[in-house]
Amino acid sequence: MAIEIESWVKVAAFVGAGLSMGLGAIGAAIGEGFAAAKANAAISRNPGISGDIFKLMLVGQAVAETAAIFSLVIGIILLFSNYSTASIISMAALLGAGLCMGFGAIGSGVGSGYPAGEACKGVARQPEMRGRLTTNMLIGSAVSQTPAIFSMVVAFMLMFLNFSGAPLHPTSAALLGAGLATGLASIGSGLGSGLAAGASCEGSARQPLNVGNITVIMLVGQAVSQTPSIFGLLISFVLMFKTYPSSELLGASMALLSAGLCTGFGGIGPGVGNGMTAQSAVTWVARNVRQESVLMRSMLVGQAVSQSTAIYAMVISLALIFLI
Amino acid sequence: MEDLGRISQLVIPIMGHDMVFNLNVIIMTWIVMGLLVFFGIMASRKRNVLPNPVQVVGELLVSNLYGLTEDALNKERSKSYSPLITALFMFLLLSNWIGMIPHMHEPTKDLNTPLSLGFMGFVIAHYAGIRAKGFKNYAKAYFEPIFFMAPLNIIGEVSKVISISFRLFGNIMGGSIIILVVSHLVFSLVLPPFLNAFFVIFIGAIQAFVFTMLTLVYIAVQVN
Repeated sequence: MAIEIESWVKVAAFVGAGLSMGLGAIGAAIGEGFAAAKANAAISRNPGISGDIFKLMLVGQAVAETAAIFSLVIGIILLFSNYSTASIISMAALLGAGLCMGFGAIGSGVGSGYPAGEACKGVARQPEMRGRLTTNMLIGSAVSQTPAIFSMVVAFMLMFLNFSGAPLHPTSAALLGAGLATGLASIGSGLGSGLAAGASCEGSARQPLNVGNITVIMLVGQAVSQTPSIFGLLISFVLMFKTYPSSELLGASMALLSAGLCTGFGGIGPGVGNGMTAQSAVTWVARNVRQESVLMRSMLVGQAVSQSTAIYAMVISLALIFLI
Repeated sequence: MEDLGRISQLVIPIMGHDMVFNLNVIIMTWIVMGLLVFFGIMASRKRNVLPNPVQVVGELLVSNLYGLTEDALNKERSKSYSPLITALFMFLLLSNWIGMIPHMHEPTKDLNTPLSLGFMGFVIAHYAGIRAKGFKNYAKAYFEPIFFMAPLNIIGEVSKVISISFRLFGNIMGGSIIILVVSHLVFSLVLPPFLNAFFVIFIGAIQAFVFTMLTLVYIAVQVN
């Protein structure tokens, strides 16, 4: 029987590794392709500095690939670790880790492609701004990676924490739910913060004098668009660290799994929506810097309203975890 | 690898309750505070028109953060709030960067530090709001657009504390876990300096700035 469980855990690790790398490859590839497309457009606009644009494209693509490299690391660890304390719970945990990292890398990969592409276009437009645009691109893409970092944290915790003492039945569903909550919620946040970063690169090329203001509003906008993924992280932590009474009822397990799904899916829309708000606010600060404080306020209020759906999802998830 | 998630705690039983102290965090917080006080003394000692290097760094920090505060609040209020904002930024920056030194841990890696700082910002923002608008106008804001939105508005306010503190905590802890695991995988060859440069210096500085700006923005939203 012991061998039987061990081989099942191996199966879960392999499936998790495949999902992690397979899903994780989606986003980064789209983002890098976007950057390359914009770089081509930029080179045909200003062929004289094609060497600089090419270098900038490669740097931007390297940052956009970070999310896929996270997936690769998780995939390799899942493949080559040996699982001495094998139980059914670690099956759920490993599968959850793979799903979490796989879904979590999609948004950040696509998102960090936007600043790379817009920075290439911006350099073609304002070659003098090369240094400042590169810095701006790096800051923007690094912040867009935050949701992928959250997913990686949850994946590591699912792989390395010891859950063996917990009762089998609700806990395995809870661990799968923990992986899905952060993974799914990160999709929208990564994409949204990429939109804001792209707008800031475009804006600083348009209006080089206002780079400081543009960077500040970009960071605030990105930070708020990442809130849904933080709600996902919170629900994942609650699901992982709460102790559950043993229960054979299907309902108890399903409640915990759907708590993860609820916050996960609920976070996609607000993440993208908040990113769009931030994108537009950043674009307009670049054009009309005198109205910065009004733009910032209306951006924050608009984001707060569109974020309320993520808050509803989190309330339902907490109710599913604690009341049922 | 076994370090992952290990916390050294001091448990003192008092009258039937256990008081738990996270020793690492407390010691590291005091080290950071001591370094900041030392930096402050060095920067303001022997002030001169031709500043010494430490004074330049201090002046840069203070004047830039004062400018940001003045952009968000008005001139009068920025006088009373910019010391808070500057101190918050300097504390977070040093806390995030101190993890680079071997055997030092970032105080912000423990959820308690970001959560208490976030809660502090929340209390200050609401106090500033009540003082600026009066209690009646302040309370009225919760019943907009319709009166039964009040519970959701309150949840929305509380979720700000959660999001601001978990953002800092997740980034710093995520960075340190990634550095630990990847360094372990490559037997600490070649990669760790680059990982430290990216996750500690770069992400640490950005997240310190984001936390500070959000605290400032929350105050500005309540005040205006």
